Amino acid sequence: MASREVVVVGGGITKFAAERVDASVRDLVTEAVLLAVDDAGVDLQTVEHGLTSYESDHFNRQMTLGAILHDHIGMVPKPNVRVEGGGATGALALRTAFAYVKSGLCDSIIVYGGETNGRSVTSATAQQFFSLSSDADWEMMVGGTYTAYYAAMMREHMRLYGTTERQFAHVAVKNRRNAQFNPVAQKPMDLTVDDVLNSIPIAEPYKLLDCSLLSDGAAAVILATEDWAARHSTRWNERPAITFAATGCGTDTMRLGDRPFPYPGLAHFRGKREAARQAYKMAGIKNPRTEIDVAELYDSYSGVELQACEELGFCEYGKAGSLAEDGVFDLGGDLPVNTSGGLLGRGAPVGATGIAQAIEIMLQLRGQADPRRQVANARRGLTDTHAGTGTHCVVNIFERRD
Amino acid sequence: MATVTGKLKHLPAPDPLGPNPDPWADFREIEVLGLEWTQHYKHSLGKYSRFFLELENRRFFATRCPKCQKVWTPPRPVCPDDLTITGWVELSGRGQVVSFSVLHYAPAMLSFLKTPYVLAYVKMEGADTLFAHLLQNFGDLSQIRHGMPVRVVYNNGPVDHPIMLMAFEPADS
Ligand SMILES: [Zn+2]
Repeated sequence: MASREVVVVGGGITKFAAERVDASVRDLVTEAVLLAVDDAGVDLQTVEHGLTSYESDHFNRQMTLGAILHDHIGMVPKPNVRVEGGGATGALALRTAFAYVKSGLCDSIIVYGGETNGRSVTSATAQQFFSLSSDADWEMMVGGTYTAYYAAMMREHMRLYGTTERQFAHVAVKNRRNAQFNPVAQKPMDLTVDDVLNSIPIAEPYKLLDCSLLSDGAAAVILATEDWAARHSTRWNERPAITFAATGCGTDTMRLGDRPFPYPGLAHFRGKREAARQAYKMAGIKNPRTEIDVAELYDSYSGVELQACEELGFCEYGKAGSLAEDGVFDLGGDLPVNTSGGLLGRGAPVGATGIAQAIEIMLQLRGQADPRRQVANARRGLTDTHAGTGTHCVVNIFERRD
Repeated sequence: MATVTGKLKHLPAPDPLGPNPDPWADFREIEVLGLEWTQHYKHSLGKYSRFFLELENRRFFATRCPKCQKVWTPPRPVCPDDLTITGWVELSGRGQVVSFSVLHYAPAMLSFLKTPYVLAYVKMEGADTLFAHLLQNFGDLSQIRHGMPVRVVYNNGPVDHPIMLMAFEPADS
């Protein structure tokens, strides 16, 4: 299979915002696609396959949005497929596109996704929609929301490992600080740990500033074989080649309470560990802490980034909090995490989130990120994306080859 | 003059990334609508049904797998560990809190909940999994802890969903 490497030809991302009042979801996706086509240096007419990435029909009161988007960007009558995997939708979309290219089903594919989670409905209704993506008979009707589930997970992590609110507040500060250097980010902020600790409680132990954003936005990426890219991209020789080196996927029970003790119990993301194991094997990674240069992790809540660092093998269980305090995951640290600002700072229009993470890695590996957030000599980057409370997890790995 | 019901606003929108040149300059006049939609679902509880029907009798049921003996609550008609059809078994309704969260905001459908409210994950006596539900009458929030004994309490409704015929309360150990 080595002869059929998958490359990232280019990507585009819109400005993320709490309310992109100037655009419907179809406008947002079209905007991202035009940016991706420009970045890739390709004529979209030559791209062979489409892939629509979006989670929810609820936010836009529109089913089969894929048909509209594919049509809107001039891809008909070429093939299309829609991928949905909850919060992991964008990463699962890229993983699916990887398989399509790797298998020879097509030589080139455009993955596009977007969502209007920010403005379509009130925040309470948005929480309700997301709660519908937990077990609606057994968890949602008893007062369950995702913030509640994650809070219970974090409380257990604190009990088992002594992780502190101050430690995960560091993540909230770091990611919003990084967002200040990303022009598409929704919520750049210059905060202190005390600002986070003193923000209003939402679902204890999580406070307002520990929580990620509801966003409007879109993103798109073009994947292809290297041969296709060399023939169809006018910009292919301008920049180092970025390969889509590996992908992994893991799952867990829908309800937190059904998971076996002691592992994963309530404190761990077993699906992430499994996704990472597969991806590391495919990429030949033995020690992720030293072999990965930059990572975009799914910081739906600040504490989740710490839990993810541990499941991805960046450190032992219970150690991520003190490493975060030591600045290991900061810009300039050993292993910068969420240089884009993450879900906390850049934002998270669900169908676009995993694609946006991949675009940040692409920019970092090309050396094209804003100099204030560029990681020096980044050669391998990872994205970690999950749905639910880790019910569906995807890890994708990208490499610079030159 | 035309009348549009549900029109929320009509505004000129700026280029979010500014400054110009704005490639979308011709498309910056925006109309935003408010749309309403409610619907009724005929929602079957299927093979879970006995659990909910027994709540009306103030009894708490789980399912046990005849092959591996694992007791599932919430119940599962099939044990996913070995794909074996389970059977009903009654539990005492007592248990211990494993973890919990204290919520200061309720989602739209549960706006009747008084905040702060507590969602607790409870290890039921005789069960192998955790059951999540509201913890009521918790008194002082700072007293809620891992290992705290709780019991199922029942009410006569009316409720929107039969799962709300029960909740947890602190119990004597
Ligand atoms: Zn069994």
